[in-house]
Order: sequence, then structure tokens, then C-alpha cells
Amino acid sequence: MENSSKEEYKIQSFDLETQKLLKTALKDPGSVDLEKVSNVIVDQSLKDQNFSREAGRICYTIVQAEAKQTNGNVFRRNLLNRLQQEFKAREETRKRSTQEWVCLVSFICNIFDYLKVNNMPMMALVHPVYDCLFRLAQSDALQNEEEVDCLVLQLHRIGDQLEKMNMQLMDELFNLLRDGFLLQEDLSSMGRLLLLEILEFRAGGWTLSETAQKYYYSEVTD
Amino acid sequence: MSAYQKYRYENDCKPDENRNKGTSRWTHCRKRGADGNLRKSLEVGEPDKCSQSSRRQESFTTPESEGPVSRVKNWGDEVEAEEMRSNVQRDMHRYRRRILEADFPQRDRKISSGSSDSRDSKDSKESPAKGDIETDETTLIRRQKQINYGKNTLAYDRYIKEVPKLMRQPGVHPKTPNKFKKYSRRSWDQQIKLWRVKLHAWDPPAEEGSDLQQIEEIDLGEIMEFELDVECSADTEFQCPTSSGALLSLAEDSFAGTPKKMMKIEDAEMS
Repeated sequence: MENSSKEEYKIQSFDLETQKLLKTALKDPGSVDLEKVSNVIVDQSLKDQNFSREAGRICYTIVQAEAKQTNGNVFRRNLLNRLQQEFKAREETRKRSTQEWVCLVSFICNIFDYLKVNNMPMMALVHPVYDCLFRLAQSDALQNEEEVDCLVLQLHRIGDQLEKMNMQLMDELFNLLRDGFLLQEDLSSMGRLLLLEILEFRAGGWTLSETAQKYYYSEVTD
Repeated sequence: MSAYQKYRYENDCKPDENRNKGTSRWTHCRKRGADGNLRKSLEVGEPDKCSQSSRRQESFTTPESEGPVSRVKNWGDEVEAEEMRSNVQRDMHRYRRRILEADFPQRDRKISSGSSDSRDSKDSKESPAKGDIETDETTLIRRQKQINYGKNTLAYDRYIKEVPKLMRQPGVHPKTPNKFKKYSRRSWDQQIKLWRVKLHAWDPPAEEGSDLQQIEEIDLGEIMEFELDVECSADTEFQCPTSSGALLSLAEDSFAGTPKKMMKIEDAEMS
């Protein structure tokens, strides 16, 4: 159980004391300082790329546990407000560190994916997520493979949900991506490939046809 | 105009947004503050920056949202408000279904008296599904908040543990007001007040004990030998507070006998 929960929530990167805190938060949320827990999680998500992509799950479990145990919302509220702060400061973050910026985006999107309200995505996050993706679709970001990679990852994971929440924005986003792919000259070839794949992915209804799968993901034998 | 900027522009034109608050992250993009004075530019950077980071108004009305979203809200509050709205919607659907079932009971469902009289009387008193239920979201949310204040008390917690819903006696035991029934504002507020006053009888003993409270505890404590996991109220299941994790769940069907027409009697009492 010990190791499997570490695996499941990807908390190996935390120091032992923090791991213990998180495990207690999962089992007995009323007994820990949930504001501290939310800060710990956000801080780590901004540093650790792997964690930023998976942190949604542990957050979801803590939210559920708290609701069940104390009928409270402290963790979720603190998490969201902290996330909002980071979101507001995203442009500075991007200037300071591309890695931190893509971690932030991954984390926000992962939260959007996992933290549902009555099985519906949180409406409050829809525009912020689009904001991030639009930023990644700007020409200066498209030059940067790390950012393109982040962008397509998010679209693979939550693109269909986002589209359902707001089709118009998704159309506009993809117009930018298409323009970038066709017109922007300073894209790396990997960047271009990533864009082409995501264009096809959405065109195929958020899934890749078998042919496309073969094209993009199999080894080419000479 | 790029699509990015175009989107922002479209949102700028929303008629019902509130532009007065000066603390949004786009205020640096406006030339004047709410007081009319010219702003100094707070942003040092490309002129493009304004459109990129302020692509969207914080206050907007979209088809997805249920009304204008206030500019100064934080995400925590927004999500809680979303949750309240969707809970209320869900409660409404459940309530409508229940009312329909009451009007058209299934064949194998036992009705206390076989005659149609009980159904008729139930119908006339309670056919809110025909359009007589409260549907205004603002009202429902306000009422639900008031109900939540009452349910988030120790007294309520102790009450639902002590008295399973089907053992409730009208008049003696408080019943949560039904937020879907049409009432005037005064009538509703009064019902809530009376309900909460009644709930005080279950306040924890550390508070000043009344005779009534003592009696309640003795009588009911002896009768109730097990704890039951019960629905908070007939109509709403919004975040039912349970302070201990392990309560036995007993199907309501196991309580055989005449279902009490509690609503009806309670109505007479309330009005």
C-alpha cells in the first residue's frame, strides 16, 4: 500500500516529511493544515514537471476526503486561490523560467481535468486555461519546442472537454495554430511536426486515425 | 486583427459587464481609472503585452455562465458558487421526479389506503410539478444558503443522529423547509427562523440546558439504539453533514407501515 500510493500520486519527489503530510491529508484531512498542504502541492508542481502533470489526482482525492469528513472546502478553496495568484503572475513566470511556466500550465490543465464539480468541469477555469493555451500559441512561444510540446500535451488531454465548454475559442486557437504552422518560418521541424499532429488530431474528432497514428508514431524503416 | 485580439474586443463590448472596479488585471490597459484620472502605465514592456495578458475581461456573461460573473471574485468563490448552482439544479430535477412519482405512483408501490382519496388529497395539496414550484435560481440559492447555515450546526448533526427521518413526529421534530415550494419572502424567512429555533433543542450539553432538551435526550436516547445514515431532508441532499464516518445505512423500505403525510401536516402548521 505504501509504495503503490506513492506511485499512484507520484509523490516520490517530495521529502519524507512532506510525503507523510500528504498521506495524512488523504486519510484524515481534518487533522492537517490544508492551506499548507495546498501550498506544498502547488510549489512542487511548479518545480517538478512529472508531478505537475499528475498532481490533479491527489488534489481530487483530498477534496473528496475533506468533503466527506468535514463537509469542508478549505483545501479546494486554498488550492484554487493560490493557483489564481500563480496564473496572474504567469507572464513574469514565463520570462523567468520557461520550465516553471510550462509546469504551471500543465498543472492548471491537470486540475481542470480532475477537479470536477458535480461531474462537470469547473467553469471558472475554462477561460484561464484558454488564456494559457493562447499564450502558448503566440509566435514567440511556438519557436520554443518546450512550449509547443506543453501545448499539444494539454490539447491531447483536455482538448475535447475544452471544446465542449467553448467551441468558438477552440476554433480561434486552432486558427492560430494553423497560421503558425503554415506561415511561421522560425519553427523547428519538431515543433512543426507537433503542430501538424495536433491539427490532425482535432480534425479527427480528438483522436488519431490509424493512418495518422502510423505516420506520427511508428518507426520508419529505411 | 488577430483572432486573439478579436476575442478580447468582442468581450469588451458586452453590455452588462461592470467596468467600475479598478482592480482587475486589465486596468493597466485602460487609460483612465474609475475616478476619471489618467493612469500611469504600470506595465513596462511591448505595447502588445496589453492585449496578450488582458485578453479577456474578468467580468463577462457567456452562455455557459448563469449570469454576470463579478470581476473581483477569486476562483475559490467562483467554484463554490458554481457548485451551489449545480447542486440546486440537481435538487430541482430530483424534486420534480419525486413529485411526478407522487402524482403517478407505480403499480407495485404500496399506498397506505387503497382508495383514491389519499391520492387526490395529496394531489391537490402537492401538485407543484405543474408549474407551482419555485424555480428562480437566485431565490433557490439564497434559500439553500439559509438551509446550509442551519445544517452546518452541531445541533443539526446531533439531531439527525438521534432521530431517523421516518421516526420524526410532526410538530415535535424540526423539518427542513422545502425550498421548492412557493412562499413569500417573509413566510420563508419565518419558517427558517422557527426551524432553527427548534433545532436548538439539540445543542450540545455544554450550552445552557433547558428542561426540554433534557427530556428529549432521555426519551429519544433510550429508544434509539443504533445510528442511522439518513437523508438530510426530504428534498435536498446538499452536503449532508456527517461528523463520523461510520454510520449504518438502513434502507427506508425496511420501515414498513403508514408513511406519514408529514408534509401536509407541516404545511398546516406553518401557514
